Amino acid sequence: MDWFGAADGGPMVATRAIHFAATAIVTGTLVFQAVVANPALRSQEAAAKPFRTQTRYVAWISLAVAVISGLAWVLLLTMSLSDESLGEAITSGALRDVLNLTQFGSVSQIRLALAILLAFCLAFERSAFWRWLGLGAAVGLIASIAWTGHAASTPHKLGYLHLGADVLHLTAAAAWIGGLVPLALLLGAGKHHQGRVGLELDVVERFSALGIASVATLILSGIINAWILVGSFHALVITGYGQLLMLKLAVFAAMLAFAAINRLSLMPRLALPSADTQQDALRGLSRNTLIEIGFGLFLFAVVGVLGTLHPAAHLVQ
Amino acid sequence: MRRLSLIAVIPLLLWFATGEVGAHAFLDHAEPRVGNKVAAPPREVTLWFTQKLEPAFSTVTVTNAAGERVDTGKARVSGTQMAVSLRPVGGGTYHVNWRVLSVDTHTTNGNFTFQVGQ
Repeated sequence: MDWFGAADGGPMVATRAIHFAATAIVTGTLVFQAVVANPALRSQEAAAKPFRTQTRYVAWISLAVAVISGLAWVLLLTMSLSDESLGEAITSGALRDVLNLTQFGSVSQIRLALAILLAFCLAFERSAFWRWLGLGAAVGLIASIAWTGHAASTPHKLGYLHLGADVLHLTAAAAWIGGLVPLALLLGAGKHHQGRVGLELDVVERFSALGIASVATLILSGIINAWILVGSFHALVITGYGQLLMLKLAVFAAMLAFAAINRLSLMPRLALPSADTQQDALRGLSRNTLIEIGFGLFLFAVVGVLGTLHPAAHLVQ
Repeated sequence: MRRLSLIAVIPLLLWFATGEVGAHAFLDHAEPRVGNKVAAPPREVTLWFTQKLEPAFSTVTVTNAAGERVDTGKARVSGTQMAVSLRPVGGGTYHVNWRVLSVDTHTTNGNFTFQVGQ
């Protein structure tokens, strides 16, 4: 009996990728609101209202997708473990065993509680207390994925380092890639409001600072993760895990190139006096942000696969 | 052009997704050692793995040359280590079959033999 034959196939990979992307978007949206939008929009109530409505929709939809895909993840794993159909897996007690007797099950229950808390916070977001609590719940929702993956099973003291690096990696990825979605909404709205470029410049500058912090965290935590999971250049080159990681790094590098163009070329042009130049820069930023979102979603698909592969370090001595 | 790139990349991801079905905890070493001969019958078999294990979904059985179980039942799992006690056994070849679930929710299985006798 192959307990896990189905768990690591296409449906599991797709479910994981969708779950990672949706969780990152809801977290990134709340981080963007707290760090970028709320300070920039403080004195711009006319622009703030439609933006807040849009981001509320994004947060609710991505939270709903995260919950549904998270439940699907648990069910797929249970079916695979028990070698049973969906109905049998639920009625036979296999689902109860997975939820109560595995770390993945315990973490999944905690994450569901965080998602419910986040939903309450989104419903009562007019209060600062609920907004900050919601941000905490969202960060917990993305960071706790670390306890379901490779980092959770790394033994000894190295396991703590691996978990810490993974928590930072997931949170930084959500802040940057997830934050691109509300950024695209805000820049898209700006194209129809000439004369509001000062607001876009403020937003882009704030997001740029958030992006630099996120990228630095991603690189540092990524090096630690790669050191533990890949271990050597040889393993990076000859294993499927290593080759897919290189593809991930190439996509990451492409995203960084677009981010550099935004910061070094387009952002300064937003500050120039010519309205035409400003609008051109805004269009360029909008286009690049959408491209970065596309790359980011592809990265989540790659991560969905990576988690199902043998870490390279385990295959090469 | 973008559509072509997407068409090229999706099969690549599917290949990675289906190419290596996940099994992450590998046997690091065991006592009695894999393939070794021990003079005195062991009281238990202990296996050490490369990753942390889920106790509820990790099992090990030990059988003699006739295929009869000589272990006492449920394995004891702690961290990366799994052990099972043995009933009193005589000389001969013993087969150890293990199946473990690592904490990152991937399974692996394997087997080895050891011999008892002079």
